[in-house]
Amino acid sequence: MGLSSSHAATLPASPAPSRSRVSPWPWLARGLLFAWLGLLVVLPLGTLVVYALADGPGAFLEALGAPYAAEALVLTLWTAALTAVLNAVTGTATAWVLVRYRFPGRNLVSGLVDLPFAIPTLVAGLMIVFLFGPQTPLGTWLDTVGLPIAFAPLGIVLALQFITLPFVVRAVEPVLMDLDPAEEEAAATLGAGLLFTFWRVLLPPLLPAIAGGTLQGFARALAEFGSIVVVSGNIPGRTLTASVFIFGEVEAGRNEVATAVCLVLLVLALLLQPAARALNRLAGASHVE
Amino acid sequence: MPQPSPFASILLIGPVTALAAASLSVLIAGCTGASPLGEAHSSPDQAPLQRTLTLGAYATPRDAYDKEIIPAFLAYWKDKTGQEVVVETSYQGSGGQSRAIVGGFEADIAALSLEPDIQRIVHAGLITHDWKDDAWGGMVTASIAVPAVRPGNPKGIQDWGDLTRTDVDVVTPNPRTSGGAMWNIAALYGASMRGYAEVPRDDELSTLTFISQVLARVRIMDKGARESVLTFEQGVGDVAITYENEVLTAKLIGKQYDYVVPRSTILIVNPIAVVDANVDAHGNRDVAEAFVDFVRTPEVQRMYAKYGYRPIVGEVGQELTERFVTPEDLFTIEDLGGWPRVTTHLFDPDGVFDRAMESARRR
Amino acid sequence: MSSSKAPSRYDWPLRRVALLLGVLAWLGLLLVVPLIAMAWHVLDLGLGQAWHEMAESGASQALWRSVWLAVLAVVVNGALGVLAAIVLVRHRFPGRRLLDWMVDLPLAVSPVMIGLAYILVFGRGGLLEPLLLGTGWKVTFAWPGLVLGTVFVTIPFTTREVGHVLRELGTTEEQAAATLGASTWKTFWKVTLPNIRHGLTYGATLTMARSLGEFGAVMVLGGAIAGKTDTATVFIYAAMESRFEAASYGMALVLAALTMALLAFLKALQPSSPEV
Repeated sequence: MGLSSSHAATLPASPAPSRSRVSPWPWLARGLLFAWLGLLVVLPLGTLVVYALADGPGAFLEALGAPYAAEALVLTLWTAALTAVLNAVTGTATAWVLVRYRFPGRNLVSGLVDLPFAIPTLVAGLMIVFLFGPQTPLGTWLDTVGLPIAFAPLGIVLALQFITLPFVVRAVEPVLMDLDPAEEEAAATLGAGLLFTFWRVLLPPLLPAIAGGTLQGFARALAEFGSIVVVSGNIPGRTLTASVFIFGEVEAGRNEVATAVCLVLLVLALLLQPAARALNRLAGASHVE
Repeated sequence: MPQPSPFASILLIGPVTALAAASLSVLIAGCTGASPLGEAHSSPDQAPLQRTLTLGAYATPRDAYDKEIIPAFLAYWKDKTGQEVVVETSYQGSGGQSRAIVGGFEADIAALSLEPDIQRIVHAGLITHDWKDDAWGGMVTASIAVPAVRPGNPKGIQDWGDLTRTDVDVVTPNPRTSGGAMWNIAALYGASMRGYAEVPRDDELSTLTFISQVLARVRIMDKGARESVLTFEQGVGDVAITYENEVLTAKLIGKQYDYVVPRSTILIVNPIAVVDANVDAHGNRDVAEAFVDFVRTPEVQRMYAKYGYRPIVGEVGQELTERFVTPEDLFTIEDLGGWPRVTTHLFDPDGVFDRAMESARRR
Repeated sequence: MSSSKAPSRYDWPLRRVALLLGVLAWLGLLLVVPLIAMAWHVLDLGLGQAWHEMAESGASQALWRSVWLAVLAVVVNGALGVLAAIVLVRHRFPGRRLLDWMVDLPLAVSPVMIGLAYILVFGRGGLLEPLLLGTGWKVTFAWPGLVLGTVFVTIPFTTREVGHVLRELGTTEEQAAATLGASTWKTFWKVTLPNIRHGLTYGATLTMARSLGEFGAVMVLGGAIAGKTDTATVFIYAAMESRFEAASYGMALVLAALTMALLAFLKALQPSSPEV
């Protein structure tokens, strides 16, 4: 069981045990939960939405038009998307290696995959700046070959890669485990090429899991703050992401702008969430329990 | 699904409970304490009559306050009244500190980097007296905006104009998030408009071009003034637009870099004010007002000078003309029209800064 | 990075090695090297220096605050998480989907966003300001704000983990207990709870790790006030600002080590399974 546990993303109800006794406890429990989550989750986020739209859609759009707001959103979107795509590839490869291969230290490597969940994001950012920063030989070399990491968009992608590494891996692993290698071997003995085997035999059953994990990683990347504030250099329009932008606007007291950008991010997240869960459900359903 | 052993649960619950108990006790026991964000200073003996004072300051003067000024004040107050004082301090970016005070941080004294940050507290109704109505206009320290350079000035930076050179990388904070950064842009604007940037005097269009040329050389735009200097110290950029006192403070702790005094630059003045709402709630107005007066005495002004600040008390300033060179053309924010004009004209959306930034991105 | 994904384990050994090395190199470069580099840097700066700076700047207070927040999050979200898992998995009622969605919401929200949202509700001029003024409570720029933020970001973990376990376990044991005449509470205490221990532990560990690492919400909500609202992560940031570089990296290492230890502890608890 991996820490990202994409399987547990959805909680379909198992058939409820029939209760012949009428008990108030279930309703009390449900009430408590609704009140708790209502106060802690829905009320603040709802207030945010209301605040952003309080002066009408016109004011909202005007707030979005604040300097560097749109650029921050665009930067956030493309860096998160690039990260997600990279993760789809590297995550699947990593899952493959962990499931199908036996090698010394395999358990250690598997534990390593969970490392991003253990390390605070701020620390992750510090590590990257430290390793790839301009004062290090690695950093200066990268700079000369035109691939600056610290204080550049590439650094953002790198930080995001670190943060979202486990998602695809942990989503694909269980599905891969249940996949019978017999089909691949059959394809191989029948002379199927590598690409064919991958495309026709492996990918279809894995696709929902890969897609689900990718979307989760994407959603996570959109929200990232701690590592980016250290790594990116925060240049408005160039390396200033949405979260850091929001932080700056809040610090400057410009709540209208901050909430407007928050609203966009929130809507995005709310759209992505059900999609990711549906995919995970599909992935979960596709493997035999 | 295989069952975990009961040992495991005990293993987890045990340490967690122990941790909880330990941290609870430590937390209760050590409620006030030091932090990189500030400390609690107290006189060595806990006499029955103890006063507290909370100082909310911006990041830079931290060492000046912690190491010299506050201990001096504790001695002074003890001498004068026989009371012990506990001074709690908080240091962070000026804008952030201002926001924190408005948001509920009960600082008795606000010592910030620039006037607008104090004005924000005034607008929130927490400062109700005319804080500028004293011999020094409400200010406590001064400095000038300068370009900081690498040791030995390898790129030969002489003046603001050199910041437009294509072989020079510049570092400066973002004025939209850093109040302190506004000083920097105001310095560029002022120097240029007054004819010291090789563009025609009083020609705003040329000044706009000049500023955008500088901004085009900016590699990193940190969200705070201190972050910006730290980035420079990490090796980014050839020039950092910063304040003289930042460089001098850094040199005090052994950082190796220097600065150039340009021909024309802005006089930075840092305000200090008693926060009425808080002192009235805490009942320590006398201590707070005494502190604000104390920091303007020549003795304390000399302490500030040690940490790179230009004194605002004239007589001390006379003593230190060698240390603090006066530029050819030293102008103030009043010369640019005062803060209200500067904040709107330069830093409002579509103001001078935004247009220069826009133009810089197209270079 | 090798592009082959489906070498048959019997026919293309060279491809296998290439893929394996590629993946290991990628993981090493991304995960391991930076961590080791940072540890080396702290050693370079001097452990003594780091210790001295940390002692001077109140690192331990900040750390205890983080730990205390994490424990609170574990306790609160543990109890409510188990309740939520049971309600969501075992019950059927109108609004179940809605509750499920609400539980998952924190995962999608940026921490800075929720900090701002809480300020709009509990801060000066906020929605609930009259209520707060009445009770004299301070939420923003104070400890309760930190608690709120930390609890919020860790809401989903226990619920999901325990829910997953509940779903896999099925209801056979509970039903058996019911037919034997056990009350709801007794069934829960004697049957359900022992069974979900594993999921609960998992959830608790995730909660702890996430809490310790929380930064954005705590920065916005707490305002990073000296000795009052600085947590370990805020300390790292503030120490760097105040030029306590050794303390900053030192605390970063401490946090990383602490959470990694939690992870390792969790792995040790897990019965060794053939898959991983």
